[in-house]
Amino acid sequence: MAVEVLSPITGNVWKIVKLVGDEVEEYETIMIMESMKMEIPVESPQNGKIKELRVKEGDSVIEEDIVVILE
Amino acid sequence: MSEHEKTGFADIDNLHHKRDIARQGGGPEKIKRQHDRGKLTARERLDLLFDKDTFCEVGILGAEDVEKPDADGVIAGYGKINGRYAGLVSYDYTVKGGSMGEVGEIKATRIREIALKSRFPMIWIMDSGGARIDAKTGFGASDDTDRVALFAYTGHLFKEEALMSGVIPLVGAMMGPGFAGTAYIPGLSDFVPMVKDKSFMGLAGPALVKEVIGEDISENDLGGSKVHCEVSGVGDLEVEDDAACIQAIKDYLSFFPANCDQKPPRQDYRGDPTALIDDKILEIIPEHTRQAYNMHRVIKMIADDGIFFEIKPKWGKNMITGFGRVGGYPLGIIANNPMSYGGVIDINASDKATRFIWTCDAFNIPLLFLSDVPGFMIGSMAEKSGIIRHGAKLIHAVAEATVPKFTIIVRKSYGAGYYAMCGKAFDPDLIVAWPKGEISVMGAEGMVSIFGKKMLAAAPEEERANIAAGMTEMIKPLLNVKMAAAKAYIDDVIDPRETRRVLFKALEFTKDKKIFRHPRKHGVYPV
Repeated sequence: MAVEVLSPITGNVWKIVKLVGDEVEEYETIMIMESMKMEIPVESPQNGKIKELRVKEGDSVIEEDIVVILE
Repeated sequence: MSEHEKTGFADIDNLHHKRDIARQGGGPEKIKRQHDRGKLTARERLDLLFDKDTFCEVGILGAEDVEKPDADGVIAGYGKINGRYAGLVSYDYTVKGGSMGEVGEIKATRIREIALKSRFPMIWIMDSGGARIDAKTGFGASDDTDRVALFAYTGHLFKEEALMSGVIPLVGAMMGPGFAGTAYIPGLSDFVPMVKDKSFMGLAGPALVKEVIGEDISENDLGGSKVHCEVSGVGDLEVEDDAACIQAIKDYLSFFPANCDQKPPRQDYRGDPTALIDDKILEIIPEHTRQAYNMHRVIKMIADDGIFFEIKPKWGKNMITGFGRVGGYPLGIIANNPMSYGGVIDINASDKATRFIWTCDAFNIPLLFLSDVPGFMIGSMAEKSGIIRHGAKLIHAVAEATVPKFTIIVRKSYGAGYYAMCGKAFDPDLIVAWPKGEISVMGAEGMVSIFGKKMLAAAPEEERANIAAGMTEMIKPLLNVKMAAAKAYIDDVIDPRETRRVLFKALEFTKDKKIFRHPRKHGVYPV
């Protein structure tokens, strides 16, 4: 079942760490946001595989935007 | 001839019949409508809330018309929740829209008085159209003009609720509308869960708002669960449906004693609370202070079975507040959240933490502070919104709390943020740090920009960044908690895996903690 991963914060996508097809574990960092001079990880809410990345590096996102889909 | 006529209790069957009618509330049609709205009836709710066969109802025969028992739109009584008594006033939307009438309020008053005298928690379930205006038992004019004047003799419920606060736990569960008077019931409660998209509260409903200030707004946008649980901070927890709301009330109360004279109940814990936490806890805190991490994960690794009952999870997210247990002992947990604005303390974070501290302190629930805080929010926006008074309120609450207080410096703890997160001067019964912890008046970069100002200004521009970085690297080790530990300003630097062990022992040795203060009526609280 597809699981939506939301951005925890309003900010910019600084670095994408995982790619489509990568396996991720619960709490593993998928990408890192930059906001308020902090680097904020977007973590996987569960074990799974990355089905879709909805953003690319440099994009700005709003808190709770869907940034990743897991399967 | 009924067999009861022989005993002189001929009316006994009628009595049972009347009770049965009252139990049917507004009747099948209204009940169907309630269900169609995705809501349970007031009686279905109390069946979920109380242990089987423990509910004792008061005023079931209360009604506008003695021949038409309907409980007057509110069910009142008391029963046991997981073996402990609690009082309930539950507005029944199927009867006159759950409106507050004279008879219903006599019933509600009765339960409030019983709960306070017997010293057990009080729960309100709100599903009400507000004060009844147009009926015989209401407060408006129809044919009986005296009823308008009656309003001058009302308001006791709010005064009483305010005076009950801190004596017994108060829960105001929003499971339907609660506009005007009914909004102050949750407003004066300790804990306000709200059913998602089904509950609303506001000092006036959309119609009155439209009439008085001309604003055209829906019930949901005016005072829905999202508004109050994410924007206003009046709601404590948005829950999916009625059943989840009832469960939240039970879970919340499980951390609380029945009243302010009791200790919170310790739950059975099967594991060994002194065992080391899994090595994974060592992987959570990143090297650089600019890198955020998941503080919720830290909390879940500290709490028994990873259970954390969070209060206001979607409001003031830079401050995390909620309940957990260590070795079965309830614990109120306050943590900075690096994922949200770096964990800075702003006005909402101050409000949220203060209220949580007051709640725990009132009911003898020990407090755990997990500190990773850059300080209080600064700048013109913060000043204009009164960060000083809000921050002062938090400092007031931390200083005043007499429950056992445990402080863990997880990472940084800077400036007044260190004080607000129960720094040494605020009499924590335990203050320890994880090895990456830093305690300082400010971060190393900030310090360099102040004391290195002259030196940097004298250097060629292209070298300034390098010099500043060099100075920062030089200062950074001085901020580390090992320096404070070497002076014995803090109790210890601990291996993060030892955290549960250390906390469990602290919970045990502080069991009989007692603090004496100068007698006074109350502080002059900054708000």
